[in-house]
Amino acid sequence: MAENKIIKSKFFFEEEEIEQLAEVSERKYRPWPNNDKLKVVGKGITRLDGYDKVSGSATYAFDVILPRMTFAKTLRCPHPHARIKSIDTSKAEKIKGVLGIITYLNAPKIKWYGNSFLFDPHLRYEGDEVACVAAVSEAIAEQALKAIKVEYELLPFVVDARKALKKDAPKLHKEGNVVRGKPSKYNRGDLQNGLKEADVVIEQTFNTQVEIHNPTEPHGSVVNWNGDHLTIWDSTQGVFRVRSQVAAALGLPESNVRVIKKYMGGGFGSKLEAGKYTVMAALLAKTIGRPVRIALDRREMNLAVGNRPDSFQTLKGAVTKDGRLTALYLKSIGSAGAYPAGTGCAWPLRSMYDCPNVSVEEYGVYINAGRARAFRAPGHVQGFFALEQLIDMLAEKVNMDPLEFRLQNYAHEEPNWHIPYTSKLLKQAYLVGAKSIGWEQRNKVAGSQSGPIKTGIGMSSQIWWGGGGPPAYANLKLNRDGSVQIIAGSQDLGTGTYTILAQVASEVLDIPVEKIEVILGDTDTAPYCGSSGGSTTAASVTPAVRDAAEQMMDKLYSAAMAQFDLPKNKIKYAKGKFSTVEPKPRVLTIGQLARKMGERVLETVGRREANPKGYAINSFGAQFAEVAVDTNTGKIKVQKIVAAYDIGRVLNRLTIDNQIHGGIIQGLGFALFEDRILDRNTGKMLNANFHDYKVPTIKDTPEIEIHIVSETDNRLSNTGVKGVGEPAMIPTPAAVANAVYNAIGKRITSLPLTPDKILMALQS
Amino acid sequence: MKPFVYHQPKSIEEASVLSAKNWEEAVLFAGGTDVLGLLKDGIEEPKEVINLKGLEGLDQIDFTKGKELRIGALVKIAQIAEHPAIKQSFPALAQAAAQTASPQLRNMGTIGGNICQRPRCWYFRGDFHCLRKGGDECFAVEGENKYHCVIGGGPCYIVHPSDLTVVLQALGAKVTIVWKGGQKTVPTSQFFVLPEEDLYRENILKPGEIVTHIHIPVPDSKMKSGYLKFKERDVWDFAVVSVAASVRIANGRIESGRIVFGGVAPKPWEEETLNRELKGLPLKDADLQKLKALALKEAEPLEQNAYKIPLARNLMLSLLKELMPIIPN
Ligand SMILES: Cc1cc2nc3c(=O)[nH]c(=O)nc-3n(C[C@@H](O)[C@@H](O)[C@H](O)COP(=O)(O)OP(=O)(O)OC[C@H]3O[C@@H](n4cnc5c(N)ncnc54)[C@H](O)[C@@H]3O)c2cc1C
Ligand code: SF4
Repeated sequence: MAENKIIKSKFFFEEEEIEQLAEVSERKYRPWPNNDKLKVVGKGITRLDGYDKVSGSATYAFDVILPRMTFAKTLRCPHPHARIKSIDTSKAEKIKGVLGIITYLNAPKIKWYGNSFLFDPHLRYEGDEVACVAAVSEAIAEQALKAIKVEYELLPFVVDARKALKKDAPKLHKEGNVVRGKPSKYNRGDLQNGLKEADVVIEQTFNTQVEIHNPTEPHGSVVNWNGDHLTIWDSTQGVFRVRSQVAAALGLPESNVRVIKKYMGGGFGSKLEAGKYTVMAALLAKTIGRPVRIALDRREMNLAVGNRPDSFQTLKGAVTKDGRLTALYLKSIGSAGAYPAGTGCAWPLRSMYDCPNVSVEEYGVYINAGRARAFRAPGHVQGFFALEQLIDMLAEKVNMDPLEFRLQNYAHEEPNWHIPYTSKLLKQAYLVGAKSIGWEQRNKVAGSQSGPIKTGIGMSSQIWWGGGGPPAYANLKLNRDGSVQIIAGSQDLGTGTYTILAQVASEVLDIPVEKIEVILGDTDTAPYCGSSGGSTTAASVTPAVRDAAEQMMDKLYSAAMAQFDLPKNKIKYAKGKFSTVEPKPRVLTIGQLARKMGERVLETVGRREANPKGYAINSFGAQFAEVAVDTNTGKIKVQKIVAAYDIGRVLNRLTIDNQIHGGIIQGLGFALFEDRILDRNTGKMLNANFHDYKVPTIKDTPEIEIHIVSETDNRLSNTGVKGVGEPAMIPTPAAVANAVYNAIGKRITSLPLTPDKILMALQS
Repeated sequence: MKPFVYHQPKSIEEASVLSAKNWEEAVLFAGGTDVLGLLKDGIEEPKEVINLKGLEGLDQIDFTKGKELRIGALVKIAQIAEHPAIKQSFPALAQAAAQTASPQLRNMGTIGGNICQRPRCWYFRGDFHCLRKGGDECFAVEGENKYHCVIGGGPCYIVHPSDLTVVLQALGAKVTIVWKGGQKTVPTSQFFVLPEEDLYRENILKPGEIVTHIHIPVPDSKMKSGYLKFKERDVWDFAVVSVAASVRIANGRIESGRIVFGGVAPKPWEEETLNRELKGLPLKDADLQKLKALALKEAEPLEQNAYKIPLARNLMLSLLKELMPIIPN
């Protein structure tokens, strides 16, 4: 039987089910036992890159310094909607130190966002690219931007998705303001029947705001031409994706483009695609014959590199007296921004509960604002905010405990396709979380406490995909001195990928983690892995590393057999050493063994195996929030979050806790503070900086308690890992909103839950 | 940022001469925590920047028992927050200082810069040519005005962003202003101005005038003071609304007192009627409730900031309750 095979691979990446051909490993390994029986996997070892990061010696794209490097800055449209009448760069060109300027007049016409161009004279949002300048310093480039004269024809604009749907609204694109020209729909069962069957029907609207990714490290690239070969150091979540996009944009063979990313200060989805800035820098670098660094500032980050789209959701939920869900309905509107982007948020409603009749209608809408991109659990954070509040409302109407209600409507099989899950321990997560928050202490009647500070407890469930899948490859190299390298075309976003890959290899090879060097994020040297998104990296790449390491063990056994001239059963291996007692005691370290081999480097290629057929693969979890609301000020203090998750196997207790902490804190930012404010009269963003756009601080961070209820998912892969990065954020806003209701007895249906809304709700 | 000439004067007189042109020409620079932002964002584009940090004698805190506390304009906010005598005798001031901005900003920012800082209105700080910047439109009045003023506004609707000013006024502080050839000392209530008095500046300073000292009378043992700052985020946030109070309590009554609000008006906001009502007020909950109805009575909220009125009133009550033993009804 062939050991590798090409199959049709299908799995969820962010919101989309992708299907592709992929070569998979057909080797079957004995499932690992639970983590308490493993040596390295699951242990909370500190990050291998920790020292580099803490000491400042880690080099990010921005830190790359090349001889004769120059600096580029972008002129962005100051208006929400305009057409360029004329551009005059002559004054800017004369500034000493300015080396090159590109605009739509002199740059090649490169397609972008499907129906637009790298430089498009039709500018559709505040932040759209008008020109890019390279100069000997960033300061000079900035001065040059000011010296470029642009005459704009101002066009009518719209910055509210609901207004953009109106007949007389200004149009951004020929197709009209609805993305793809029509809503996306989903139906199962019969909604009308479901509504009729019910004893209680609730209809409620919920709104969520636009959230900006704002990763710590700004987007940016350093680009360098060597003849017709282009090297790009980029802050990206997908080196291969950037390579394809940039090569296509510049008309280069992919083999001429190399993309490198070593360290990264976060992306949250905003770095899943190539940036215009990279291509602009490459064009400038080509014309001026010098390397170019382009780095966005915080304002540009807020305007032009993505966001979580807002949502205006109308939900209907129907239940029988005894708390059985009979129908769920959602109509949603979301702002794609100025160019096509996904805005849907129906998956929670479609997949969380066992509900036979479901109907969904979703509109993605163009508005004159920055384009949306995938953002940590796209659709799900918005969707759960609405769904889980509706669920609480329904439970209250039929006098049921919200947790009991959720258990009653528990989906025992995947409700869209009626297939089993590889594993689902949501019930355990519910019970562990409820116990730990003290669920029975919640107010039996919402808002019933007296006194100015009212406390409350609430919860939310979550579902996500995160099973990953092929293709994902890893090369494992064993050097003559026994040192090991893992090389994979994946990328560590700051999540700990370097560390967990080394742990997996260390487990199999039985050598210390420190002996293993992990090399990621280089398209010229590493075998292919997918982009790091959709919480798929650990789930996709660790099985490939295990496959590579197991093959290396086989190879080494084979070498030991040859060297000792003994059958396998006479040879023992432990802690990096082969030993035998026959005919006399002999010991060989893997380094010594490697030195006996003719080749100086032993190499194996590991492949992710196929996902099991006929199963749904999902991560599950629940969060429980305890809040205190000050009724004098309307301020919500989140006191505690309990997170309970089924995510398969824990690879590293520290990095998983980091992920969950980070997800919850980001979720709190979305729940309480963060909001892109567009001025309704001018269409311009008012808070494109870090003190008006408020991300949470450590002071706003509650006590967080984490429970992992799963041991492993052996059906899924040889490491049994499901993703956690996105699941960590999904339930937080809904849990907080439900807790606030429990505290004050008023339901706040729009995010963020700011004090003014609470105070006004309390006054009414 | 536009290039500029950088001066480091050694004397107040020299600094005064250098800055005596007009606001567009020259800007004073103390800790720079505000000015640097203004320069980088192109809100102010002066030809000259005059660093005050070289001026001698402005970085002292002098405390004369029974008389006054004198704080030099270059004293850092962190120093005020940590000063033992200030913590003891002027707790409101220490509290306001400790809640200002973030540790880094408090270590750089000075008290002089704090009271002279420019507004945070997001149109003012953005690329909007609004009234205050010499344009002919206030974008806030019919725009995004959640954080704008509810009283004292028009035709511009900023709030004064400083925490310290609110407390300084409640404590009856005075500000000494020096220029080449002259000086004067004015109470803070006369230092700050409303937009209807001067649309372009937030205080009475003229080019060439420099704040050198803040003077605060030392309270007697029956005086109590406090400051409550409401911010959306727990740290590193300007006040949405704040309130400072200093009250003298004797025989179960408030003998006299001052209440000043921040975050509601273009300057620290004090109401005569409210202060008058404080005189002789019994420490009873019901009487305090009356005060609540009186505070900010003339307020005219904009579309998005009506919440500031109950917020300010509730904060006032919470503060008074913190300062005094209140008898429940
Ligand atoms: C992110 C952020 C958060 C902040 N949060 C708060 C907050 O919570 N509360 C708060 O009160 N403030 C806050 N601030 C404002 C902060 O800048 C001030 O608190 C600080 O005290 C200013 O002092 P400075 O010495 O740095 O002033 P500078 O920036 O040097 O000067 C500020 C202004 O005062 C003028 N000036 C300075 N000294 C004098 C003088 N002696 N005489 C005349 N004019 C003078 C300058 O010309 C300038 O216009 C914040 C600022 C930032 C950037
Ligand atoms: S409130 Fe004042 S500073 Fe703000 S936009 Fe209006 S005029 Fe300008």
